[in-house]
Amino acid sequence: MSGAATIRQRLPDQKVSDPFLKRGLTGWLATVICAATLLQASCSRPVASPTLVTIEHEISPEPTRVGSATIVLKLSDATGKPVTGAHIAIETDMSHAGMNPGFAEAKEAEAGRYKAPLEFQMAGDWVILLHVTLPGGEKLERQIDVRGVRPN
Amino acid sequence: MNPSSIPVLDTPDSLPFDLMRVPGLGHLFRWRYARPLLQAPLLGLSLVMIVHGLFGPTLAPKNLATTLSWLHFRGVLVLVLLCAGNFFCLACPFMLVRQWARRLFAPRFTWPRPLRNKWLSVGLFVLILFTYELFDLWSSPWWTAWLIVGYFLSVLVVDGFFKHASFCKFVCPIGQFNFVASALSPFEVKVREQDVCTRCHTKDCIRGRREPISDLVTIRGCELALFQPSKVGNMDCTFCLDCVHACPHDNIGILSRLPASELMVDPLRSGIGYFSRRKDLAALVIVFTFGALLNAFGMVSPVYAVEAWLGRMLHVSHEAPILGLIFTFFLIVEPVLLLGVAAWWTRLWARIPRALLPLAVRYSYGLVPLGFGMWLAHYCFHFLTGLYTLIPVTQNAIASLGRPFLGEPRWTLTGLPANVVQVVEIGFLVLGFAGSLVVTYGLAEDDSPDKPLRAFLPWAAVCLVLWSASLWLMFQPMEMRVMLMSG
Repeated sequence: MSGAATIRQRLPDQKVSDPFLKRGLTGWLATVICAATLLQASCSRPVASPTLVTIEHEISPEPTRVGSATIVLKLSDATGKPVTGAHIAIETDMSHAGMNPGFAEAKEAEAGRYKAPLEFQMAGDWVILLHVTLPGGEKLERQIDVRGVRPN
Repeated sequence: MNPSSIPVLDTPDSLPFDLMRVPGLGHLFRWRYARPLLQAPLLGLSLVMIVHGLFGPTLAPKNLATTLSWLHFRGVLVLVLLCAGNFFCLACPFMLVRQWARRLFAPRFTWPRPLRNKWLSVGLFVLILFTYELFDLWSSPWWTAWLIVGYFLSVLVVDGFFKHASFCKFVCPIGQFNFVASALSPFEVKVREQDVCTRCHTKDCIRGRREPISDLVTIRGCELALFQPSKVGNMDCTFCLDCVHACPHDNIGILSRLPASELMVDPLRSGIGYFSRRKDLAALVIVFTFGALLNAFGMVSPVYAVEAWLGRMLHVSHEAPILGLIFTFFLIVEPVLLLGVAAWWTRLWARIPRALLPLAVRYSYGLVPLGFGMWLAHYCFHFLTGLYTLIPVTQNAIASLGRPFLGEPRWTLTGLPANVVQVVEIGFLVLGFAGSLVVTYGLAEDDSPDKPLRAFLPWAAVCLVLWSASLWLMFQPMEMRVMLMSG
C-alpha cells in the first residue's frame, strides 16, 4: 500500500449550518473594514509643505564599518545661505525590525555645519533619520540610507 | 454543542494530562465558537498589519506589518509549538475569512488527485524562503502587507473552488511548517479511550454530526481526513477541534505525550499513510531542516562573501540566479549528499536490506528536532531581542492617527540583551541535537535490534554535521543587507 493512499479517502460533503457566521461575522467584518478605512484616511491626511532646506551629509570613515563614525550635516536655505541655530536629533536604525536603534544630537560646529557621533552596532544596511527643528520652529524629517556597513 | 448534553467520561489516573479537562480552558475549547473567538483578534490584527504595511511608515522597524510579522508572530509561533501544540492553526485568521466566504460560494470540486500530497506545499515553502531573501521581505512593510493579502486571496481561491480543508492540507506553507514542528509539541488531539470509538457507529468525528432526517451536517467532522481512532501524531492536524465538537461521546481530548515520540514509530496513520513511504513528507522535513540553516545563513556576513565570489566566478551581477544556486546547494545537493552517504553507510554497516531511498526517507524524520531547534534559535533571537519594540511601534501608529493616547513612542525600548538571548539560542540547539539523536537511535533500534549502533552512527554523524553548522552560524556576525549583491 502506498503511503499516500489513505489521503485519497473521500470525505462526505459537509454543509454546515453556522448561525455565528450568518449573523455576527458579517457585522464584525464590516466594523473592521470601516476602522481600516478610517485608519487609512487618517494616515494619508495632507501635511503642510516644508520650507526648502537643503541638507548635505558626509559620513566618515569611508567605507563605513561597524563601530564609531561621525556624520557632518550642512544645512542651507533656498539661496544657499547656511541655516544656523537648528536643532537636529539623529536616530539610526537597521533595515530589520527589532534591532537596537541609536540616538544622538548634532552640535553646530560652525555656521550651518552640524556634527554628530554615530554608532553602527552591526554590519548591514542602516538608515539615519534626521529630526530637524529649524530656528522658526518648523520641523523637517529626512532619511539617509547607509548601505552595506562592513564588519570589522 | 451543549456540553451538558454529552455524557462525560471519568478520567482514570493512568490517562495522560488532558487540556480539555482544565477548568475554563476545557469549557472554552468545547464551546462551538471557540475557534472564531480566537480567530477574530488575529483577523483584526492582520487587517491592521495590511493597512499599516501599505500606508504606514516605509521603514521596517517603525511599521506594524514588519515588526509583528517578522519578530513577534514568528517568535510566538515557534514557542507555542514547542510548549503546547499547533494552536496557531486553530486561531488562523485566514480560515475565518474562508468560512465567511463559504457562506456565499460553496466549493464544488474535490482537490485533484495528483496534487493530494505535499509536493506543491514543499515548492511553496521553498518559494516563500526564496522570495524572503530575494525581495528582503523583512525590510519592506509594503511587500509584507502584500504577502498577507496574497495569503488571504490564495485561501479564498483554493477553498472557494475545492471542498474540505484543501488549502490547509495541500497548499499552506505556514501550515506545513506547523505540522512538522508540532511533532515536537507536548500535546496532541487524540481519542481518550479506543474502546469508546470501537463501539461508536456514527463516526461523527470524520463524517460530521448530522440532523437525523435532513442529513444536514450541523457540526463538521475533520476536513483533513484524519479519522481520530487511527490518527497518530500531529501531522496534518490543525487543532481546529471540529472532531472534539462532533464526537457524541466526548471522547476526544488534547492529551499530553512525549514530544517527538511520533517520529520514532511508523504505523499506518489516518490521512497520512506510512511516514517511511511518503517521499513528499520526507522532502518537506528536509526543506524544514536544511531551510532552517539556509534562512539563518541569509542573515550573516559570510553569505555576502559567497554571493560575491559566485558572482565573480559566473560573471553574474543579478541576485536571483546566485540565490538560486545557493538554494539548490542547501536544499538539494547538501541533503542528497549527506543523507545519501548516511543511508549507504547504514545499509553497508548494519546490513539493513533496504534500498537507499527508503532508508533516507525513513531516517530523514530524525532531523526534525534539529531543524526545529534551529528555527527556535533564529526566531527567538529576533523575538526576544526585539520583544518590546511592539510598544513604540504601536505608540507611533496610534500617534499618527492624531490622538497619541498611548504617549509618544519610546524608541529606546527594544528587548533582551543579545548575550542573554544567545544562551537561550544555544539551549534550543542543544535540545534539537539531543532530540535528533534520540529519534534516530530509536529508529536504528527498530531496524537493527542486535546492533543498533551500526545503524545509528551514520545518522548521528549527519546530526553532528548539521548541529556544528548551526552553532557556527549562531556565532557569525549578523549582517542584514537589502541588496545582497551590492558589494
